[in-house]
Amino acid sequence: MRATRSKLQSIASSIRPRLSDNQPTPYSWINDAIPGSSSGKLAGKTIAIKENISYHASPTSCSSALLRDYNPPYTATCVQSLLAEGAHIIGQTKMDEFGMGSQTTHLPPHYTPVHNPASPRPSEPPRSAGGSSGGSAAAVAEGSCWAALGTDTGGSVRLPASYCGVVGLKPSYGMISRRGVVAYADSLDCVGVLGRDVQTVEDVFDVVSKPDKGDMTCISSSHRTNASRILEEHLPKKGIEGLRIGLPKEITQRTAPSLLNYLKKEGAIIQEISLPSIRRALPAYYVLASAEASSNLARFGGGWYGSKNDQASEGTTESGLEKRKRIRTEGFGKEVKKRLLAGTWALSADEFNNTYLKALQLRHLLRKEYQSLFRIPHPLFLNEEKNNSNEGLDIILHPTSIRTAPRLQCYDANSQNGIKEYDQDLLTVPASLAGLPSISVPYEKGSDGWPLGISLTSQWGMEGLIFKLGKVIEDWSRNR
Amino acid sequence: MIILSRWGLSRPFIGSGSFPQRLLHPGLRFYATKQNAIQDESEWETVIGLEIHAQLKTGRKLFSAASTSYGETPNTNVNLHDAAFPGTLPVLDLHAVRLSLITALALGSRINSRSTFDRKHYFYHDIPASYQITQHYNPLAREGKLQIIQGDNNSQRTFDVGIHQLQIEQDTAKSQTVGDNTLVDLNRAGTGLMEIVTEPDMRTSEEAGAFVRKLQGLLKRLGSGDGDMEKGNLRVDVNVSVHRHGTPFGTRCEIKNINSVRFLQAAIESERRRHIAHYLTSPGAPLKQETRGLNELTLETFSLRSKEEATDYRYMPDQNLPAIVIDSAYLEKLREELPEMPWQVVDRLTALYDVQKRDVETLIGLDEYHFEGVRYYEDVVGGDKKIAKKAMNWIVHEILGQIGKGKTSIKWSSTLIPSTTMKEMINLIEQGKITGTNGKQIIKHLIFNDSSISLNQVLNELSIELNDNISNKLDISEICQQAIKNQSKSVNDYKKGNEKVLMRLVGEVMKLSKGRADAKQVKEILVDLLKDGNGTTNNQNRSLG
Repeated sequence: MRATRSKLQSIASSIRPRLSDNQPTPYSWINDAIPGSSSGKLAGKTIAIKENISYHASPTSCSSALLRDYNPPYTATCVQSLLAEGAHIIGQTKMDEFGMGSQTTHLPPHYTPVHNPASPRPSEPPRSAGGSSGGSAAAVAEGSCWAALGTDTGGSVRLPASYCGVVGLKPSYGMISRRGVVAYADSLDCVGVLGRDVQTVEDVFDVVSKPDKGDMTCISSSHRTNASRILEEHLPKKGIEGLRIGLPKEITQRTAPSLLNYLKKEGAIIQEISLPSIRRALPAYYVLASAEASSNLARFGGGWYGSKNDQASEGTTESGLEKRKRIRTEGFGKEVKKRLLAGTWALSADEFNNTYLKALQLRHLLRKEYQSLFRIPHPLFLNEEKNNSNEGLDIILHPTSIRTAPRLQCYDANSQNGIKEYDQDLLTVPASLAGLPSISVPYEKGSDGWPLGISLTSQWGMEGLIFKLGKVIEDWSRNR
Repeated sequence: MIILSRWGLSRPFIGSGSFPQRLLHPGLRFYATKQNAIQDESEWETVIGLEIHAQLKTGRKLFSAASTSYGETPNTNVNLHDAAFPGTLPVLDLHAVRLSLITALALGSRINSRSTFDRKHYFYHDIPASYQITQHYNPLAREGKLQIIQGDNNSQRTFDVGIHQLQIEQDTAKSQTVGDNTLVDLNRAGTGLMEIVTEPDMRTSEEAGAFVRKLQGLLKRLGSGDGDMEKGNLRVDVNVSVHRHGTPFGTRCEIKNINSVRFLQAAIESERRRHIAHYLTSPGAPLKQETRGLNELTLETFSLRSKEEATDYRYMPDQNLPAIVIDSAYLEKLREELPEMPWQVVDRLTALYDVQKRDVETLIGLDEYHFEGVRYYEDVVGGDKKIAKKAMNWIVHEILGQIGKGKTSIKWSSTLIPSTTMKEMINLIEQGKITGTNGKQIIKHLIFNDSSISLNQVLNELSIELNDNISNKLDISEICQQAIKNQSKSVNDYKKGNEKVLMRLVGEVMKLSKGRADAKQVKEILVDLLKDGNGTTNNQNRSLG
């Protein structure tokens, strides 16, 4: 395993991040500053950040024409944590506009596309890196950075990780501060970590996972202490012996039997489980995410920051309302507009009870269902009784994606995609709705030679458990 | 100063030039403008409910660390969150929550064990995020009340005003139209507000005014707000409907952003006249439900927008803010620590010491936040009921009277005349060792000179000698009798019923005593002496002065 990692790292150092006006690249901005000598846990490490994470030295345009000229006057807490441990922010990566999309194809017109670097053959037509953190996943996969930060609202870190053959973590909701991360849907948004192996992801996670007084949803140290104690109690003493793994029967994509056999051989107990409400929870996700987006993105166009268009009306007779309409009409892309309209509708007085509130209820049902499956207590709700301590689960396991990365050009035109995307969402959205930690680890190649990832989801705060199983799967996958 | 409505106007209404024409039938002006012209006024009842926005006196904004000082250069007290920069998050000021809680408790409200924040959406330049963080679904508190006593602001009855709810929310930016431009100042944006919604329990403009004044006193006493309407730190929206007694409530109109009690009462009166005029002249047509403003020059209301134009605010829970969960033990502690309210101190002191309500209110007015005036009075009285009324007179009428005279810039404070000196002086007067006239001299001396000196020093400086109690009375009795002898004509006039001549006798006593006699006391002794027909009196058993 060590040998494999150092080999990958040597590849990494040979590729430099690049910007281009006509060639595909994962980057929207490159840090021209030469890193000085640094100390700390991440000294000398190069890390790319998704374009919706504020860094005072870079623009943070969320791959939107609307924020094209926006330069944040402050730095996100998670980036500050990286810098404090000696990391070098090497650049910012492209994304689906404001995080809305799963192919990193919803880009402003002046952007070149992002190509998936995990191609088995140079002759292959370009494929999507997944989204919305496709730039971050591609940057890690091509080796131009050591690790990258992404954001995951409904799968935006895990899906590109699966497509690009890298490790992608969506932590438990509230583990990493969102201060400075441009909001898509506050109740779902998580800063995620992408790296070429589980250990890299874990190292970065350890640095950015900390309390922040600037984000009231970021978990306090006392709750973190509880979570660590519970994790200690539930980590298998030896390897993965006694680890209880569940395979949800609602997910039709099968995990390779060879992997399951290996895990059993290592002492894990594998059983089929049921999460009946995940199908009903899916529409809930779209309602909640769109509704929150319509609220969060309402600030754009008011003239306080952003594109030069904001100032274009000075000296004209354009009213504030007309200006707002113009900026939003010109600035937002098609997908963003679609979701904003849907979200605005869901929050309208006539629809609220039947749409938004229903969605909240379904989300609550799903959370309860997860809690009834886990034998590990929820560190934030320790008073709740756990009565299935013997039969309950530690980890839920299933493939991250329904397929390998799709080809870039044909995706948008395919009318069947709506349904396919729905199946895809079933794999990543439930953990987001429940706020649970979930990691995608590359584990095999599809029949077309492109990578596929496996997802591991555990109780809130149990990142340590999924790292542990993730490393076992990583070893298995490399030694095949 | 212009304060824009923050209630989701879809377009600005300030600076548009002229106010809308009131579409009144010419013959109606009579009704609309002359209140007493409405025939049989008593047949109509006005129903009034208030929505009050009171800024929380925390010194910082509700969700950011920016300061909230008043009158600063525009856009200097602004944090990135106040300007809704991407990625910024709200951090709730718990001090604001505490102040809101004690306000709700003082209003006798039921505190929700779990309250949450919601977003109220609208596009307007005074709200950079395009939503206001407020408490729509689960407000901090509900079901309170505030009692209005007959006589408060000329209220004709004693009754309770129900408090529907109290919620915490953000204030908006201030905007101003200068020429063709609308200028926005974010200094106020994000300041914490309490929105206090009453039940429609008031029936006259005086009652509504009484409620606002009482609430101002409550906020100041708690330190949760300064109640300053002039600065816009407290703003009132009023809902008014008018109906005939015994019939269902009429159509409700709301008048927004009123910034003085006078304007509030004027708005209600204007609205009442308008509604009655409508019902009299168009009995068949319903009154249009509207949001209205008050023209502060004509003191009449004008239409801002009708109900059909109302915005859908798309209320949604704010997921960046955790629910406020109030521990019952903490709530109990806050309840126990509530200070005595202005009306409570009035009740207590008038019952305990038989003093005038108006005088207690004067003491409260000296310091509405910490009740320094009340405390000073109670220090002087020191629980001694015998001197309680006298002490009130000396403080409210003599000390404050002296300060109020002429053009003194002296402000009252509890150290102006130390309470111990004051108490000592009142006791000397009570014992008859010095006269009331001496008391006035002493107070004047202490106000305009060093007040830290002892009473003995003051007596020295003013060459006032202490009189032995009994001889003093005998002396004065003798002098009075001497005066009666000297002024026999006046005595005769007095006995014939001309009581005014008594002052001539008093003057004679003062002359004989070289001003050392107490005029009031002299008057009483003279009355007694003259009543008894020059006989001796039994002064010893009579209270003096």
